[in-house]
Amino acid sequence: MLEVRNVTVKYGNIVGVRNVSFKANSGEIIGFIGADGAGKSSTMHAIAGVKRFEGEIVFNGYAYHSPKEAEKIKPYLSLMPQGLGLVLYDNLSVKEHFEFFRNIRGVKKDIDYETRLLKMAGLYEFQDRLAGHLSGGMRQKLSLILALLPRPKLLILDEPTTGVDPISRKELWEIVDEFRKKEGIIALISTAYMQEAEKMDKLLLFDEGEVIAKGNAKELKESIKDYTYEGEIEREDCFSFNNRTYCLKPLNLKKAPPLLEGVFFVNALKKGKKNLKINLEEKDVKLPEVVVKAVGLTKKFGNFIADDHIDLELKSGEILGLLGANGAGKTTFIKMLLGLYPIDEGELYLLGKRIKSYEDRLELKSKIGYMSQRFALYEEMSVKENMEYFAKMHDLSPKETKEKIEYFSTLFGFKKYLNDFPKDLPLGINQRFSLSVALLHEPVVLFLDEPTSGVDTIARATFWRFLREIKEKWKISILITTHYMSEAEYCDRVVVLKRGKKIVDEEVKKLHEKFPGLSFEEIFIKYYEESG
Amino acid sequence: MKVGVIKAYLKKEFIDLWRSKMIIMVYLIPAMIVILFGYGIRMEVIHSRTVIIDRDDTKLSHEIIRAFSTTKYFDAKVLNITDNEALKLIKQNKADLFIIIPHNFEKNLMHSSDSEIAVYIDGSFPLRATTLEGYVQGVFLNLLEKNGVKVPFKINQRNFFNESMRDENGIVPGLIGLTMLIAPAIIAALLIVKEKEVGTIFNFYSSPVSKIEFLIAKLIPPFVLYSLNTFILFLIAVYIFKVPFKGSFLLYFLASEIYIAISIGIGLLVSIITSRQVTALVLTVLITVIPGFLYSGILMPISSMTGESYIEAHLFPVMYYNHLLYDAFLIAQGFNSPKNVEYFFILIFYAIALLFIGSLLLKKELK
Amino acid sequence: MKKFFAVFKKEILVFLRNVGLVFILIYAFTFDIYIAGEGIEVKPRNVSIGYVNYSGELLAQKILAHFHAPEFQKPKRFLNEEELKKAVFNKEIMVGVIFDKGFEKDFIRKKEAKINVIIDATAAAQAEVSVQYLTQTIYSMIDGKMPLNIKVYKLFNPNSNSKWFMSLSELLSVVTMLSLVLIAVVFVKEKEAGTWDIMLLMPANGALIIFAKIASQIFILSVGIVIGIGLILFGVFDVPINGNLFYFFLLTFFFVMAMGGIALVIAAYSNSVLEVSQYTILVVMPLLFLSGAWTPIHSMAPFLQKLSIISPVKYYIEGAQSIFFRGTDFIDLLPYFMGEIIISAILFYLGYKKMGRLF
Repeated sequence: MLEVRNVTVKYGNIVGVRNVSFKANSGEIIGFIGADGAGKSSTMHAIAGVKRFEGEIVFNGYAYHSPKEAEKIKPYLSLMPQGLGLVLYDNLSVKEHFEFFRNIRGVKKDIDYETRLLKMAGLYEFQDRLAGHLSGGMRQKLSLILALLPRPKLLILDEPTTGVDPISRKELWEIVDEFRKKEGIIALISTAYMQEAEKMDKLLLFDEGEVIAKGNAKELKESIKDYTYEGEIEREDCFSFNNRTYCLKPLNLKKAPPLLEGVFFVNALKKGKKNLKINLEEKDVKLPEVVVKAVGLTKKFGNFIADDHIDLELKSGEILGLLGANGAGKTTFIKMLLGLYPIDEGELYLLGKRIKSYEDRLELKSKIGYMSQRFALYEEMSVKENMEYFAKMHDLSPKETKEKIEYFSTLFGFKKYLNDFPKDLPLGINQRFSLSVALLHEPVVLFLDEPTSGVDTIARATFWRFLREIKEKWKISILITTHYMSEAEYCDRVVVLKRGKKIVDEEVKKLHEKFPGLSFEEIFIKYYEESG
Repeated sequence: MKVGVIKAYLKKEFIDLWRSKMIIMVYLIPAMIVILFGYGIRMEVIHSRTVIIDRDDTKLSHEIIRAFSTTKYFDAKVLNITDNEALKLIKQNKADLFIIIPHNFEKNLMHSSDSEIAVYIDGSFPLRATTLEGYVQGVFLNLLEKNGVKVPFKINQRNFFNESMRDENGIVPGLIGLTMLIAPAIIAALLIVKEKEVGTIFNFYSSPVSKIEFLIAKLIPPFVLYSLNTFILFLIAVYIFKVPFKGSFLLYFLASEIYIAISIGIGLLVSIITSRQVTALVLTVLITVIPGFLYSGILMPISSMTGESYIEAHLFPVMYYNHLLYDAFLIAQGFNSPKNVEYFFILIFYAIALLFIGSLLLKKELK
Repeated sequence: MKKFFAVFKKEILVFLRNVGLVFILIYAFTFDIYIAGEGIEVKPRNVSIGYVNYSGELLAQKILAHFHAPEFQKPKRFLNEEELKKAVFNKEIMVGVIFDKGFEKDFIRKKEAKINVIIDATAAAQAEVSVQYLTQTIYSMIDGKMPLNIKVYKLFNPNSNSKWFMSLSELLSVVTMLSLVLIAVVFVKEKEAGTWDIMLLMPANGALIIFAKIASQIFILSVGIVIGIGLILFGVFDVPINGNLFYFFLLTFFFVMAMGGIALVIAAYSNSVLEVSQYTILVVMPLLFLSGAWTPIHSMAPFLQKLSIISPVKYYIEGAQSIFFRGTDFIDLLPYFMGEIIISAILFYLGYKKMGRLF
């Protein structure tokens, strides 16, 4: 039994989370959901006894009020902090990690148990590999089985699946689920994936440092069913995402069974937040039908073939989803398209022109917009200074620059943050600001590498609305990678890579026709597993 | 305290030090500092490029020229040039000094009337100039004595500890004191801060590993590695630089071990207030290098210090270790000297105090 | 050119917002130079002196009266040789003077009078300088009685003010160190922050970006150098400048380009600022060692003398000293400029090629 009573966590004068209380029984999985910085990690750190807090926590009859008092429960708990394989030592092999964790946790070597864990995580064959050479998904799985090694009674996992591909995510989840049943543990798990949240026994919804709703998925969905409608519309007082519209006012639409993520939208509406108005003016652009064409693109790193003869066409005014597990070769492929990696084999055409030399590339750089996984912009410069810099690099005149900054900051709703530094902004604002930088020079094609990873639901919904508008009104072609399979539904077409090979290249509509009744995630996993 | 935990951490640390090639830094940098600086800091100036302008051309002037040509300190060249041309040579950095033997020099000297020799030394590097001045006067005094001129005083100089006045004898042990202050502190700080920066510190925070176990596991590797370094640096001093070792090796070894513990204690304190490896590196260098140099006694004897610098010198542990170090190498009084015993205990006190404060401040929780 | 200045401005902004780097720059160009100039004085100053007198008082006191501040502390009297030796062993006294029983008598009888001097020679440099000073003081008392008058003129720095030399030397070391660190960091920061790809995707020539980045750091260094020279060298220590300051800046420019070449190689191999600092330590120490900053090059072992020909720091330090102290004419500075330019061209070419491959 875990009981959390009025826990408050502060960082200096800033409150991380305020007055959290909840109870959990053995065998239960408690889900923590909410945006970045809503207080999930703070709560987990308090419970795990790694952060000072106010209030009281009782675990199996033992009450503690500080990290010092929490020492007594540490033999029974495992914490997996947020970030890909943060707790791993790059220079230790998988096997050495087991030895290390076994010793520091004081557990006896149990070969059967360890083999089971390794097999579950698919790491059995990689025991001699150094952690630094594992892919992101493998690192997460290794961290998880290491957390399970001491057979904890209380398992705390902070976003174990963020940045992890659907396949690894499914496997991670299976491991946790099996354990919870067999060992009767309490698991606290935070996640950004609603499909996962649905599977939890109880959910805590965090928002701005407070728990705003508690209950199981069904109860939470039940609470918003009056506000949920089918279809998507554009209105300031409504939010639409994943074929649902949430509105506090009655609408003249058909009611629909709510999705869990709707809880966030309804909460935002109740707090008086408004849906961002999107109004792009139509642009008349004449582009060839095929904007980017890759024929047999291949990239090798030593003996390892990252991308093996991949063909791809990106048509004008199309959103193409590039999917695949971690390490399937997506990022390498995008980097080849961008000219950041030399191509080992194959041909690349941009706007019908064969790209061979550095000079070809230079000439066409101004036609490309790119946004990377980390929204990497210059942290030492304010939003405005960043935009001015990129504008100058793209040869915009001071007058144009001023207009563009005004235009995009209004359009993407970050005008009041213009003089702030990127690190002080919410992730969702940073994301839109990065997108506007990628669009400053009016490119004909956008490459987006996991642009929504770690961003909260509302921001993701807004982001996708922008992408679709940009595609429709400005006829820009978009190539995007993502781990959210629900987002793939917004793509016109998807290409799936597996171990450097293309296994699917099909319109989303046609895939659904082929597998009626299956969600896109299920279709994806089906392809992945069947292709061997 | 669980031995298994400490063993596991230790094994991990050593594997990591080895595979991350940090081990190279551990052994390369101290040896490099001692060797480079040992060769590099030389107060003795040899082969100074000397121009002698002989306007006398007599037996005596030739004798002067010979005297300057037969010592290793001067590379004398006789040129028949004007004063200005000679000055130009110095400006071009083609000569370090020039000596003008005037017309009728011998004659004047014999008749005991005024005879003057002018020596012009490039004073850009004052220490070098002062040294050269001394050499020049030495050569002339020698010459006079040989020619039967009476000198009323004779200075009978006895150098203690470093009889031959070799620079190496003074500088190399001092450098050992300096590197042993800087290097272990850096490694100790990095070993802890790296875990904070990467995130693996959570393995300590969220596990039953106790603070004392973690500290022992983190501090033993730099301690052991640098203990080996005390032997390496000893060998470098004795075999490469031929510094005599007259005293007790036991004193040298014990004092060094305590001193390493002090350095590690400093590293521990740095690791507590920093969370990034670069910051830890820069901060450690800042707080160790300057006092290490200034208060080591290499550059300036502690006895010459006054006021604040005297107090500061006594506050930093460098002075005490260097005292023992010089004793072990050059003086050999060992524990017979009450001062040495006193300093030895002061070092022990520093080591315990620093490690104690460090372990008190180390918190098993996020900031 | 517009893009060049865009990158230039960006790097200046990024630098200014990086509190740590700004602090290091200011510290290095002010306090560090000040401490080196003020603290490291290799000249007898405040030397502790003790004596034992077994002879008559008169002559001994006359001699001792010459040991006064600022070079010497007040001579301390010891009762016997043993006590004095103990004090030297405990490092309380650095120079001990013993007047033997017959000292005064010998002197009066015009026999050779002996003064015994014992010194703690662990700090060999200080000891040597102190003994020289002591010897000179004693001899100066008898100078009038000597037939030969040796007049020593120390050119450019007649009073042997070591602050001039030490502060300039430290300034040059700081320039060496920081030119490496700043130029390497300006590239490696992009790698560390994950903005490297974004930088490559700018529609600008790689060469333009590389040069703009280096130019921005040279600008920052120049500001630092001006502060260091103006505030500390001229302001605090009154360092003379006998040559033309403009030549110094010109020489500095070529030198920084040479270091920039090395920095580009370091930057190409490093992925984090931490690695940059480690490589810098490894590179800077041998470079300074081969420069003649501490030991005159012609006092070095012959093979090192040959090796020092390829050290960019050598030309910089010698050239700078010639400009500041020796007041050398431009025509005679040409060898330093030639050496620096050739080396900087080679190093910069190598560094540029190494870095250019990443663009």
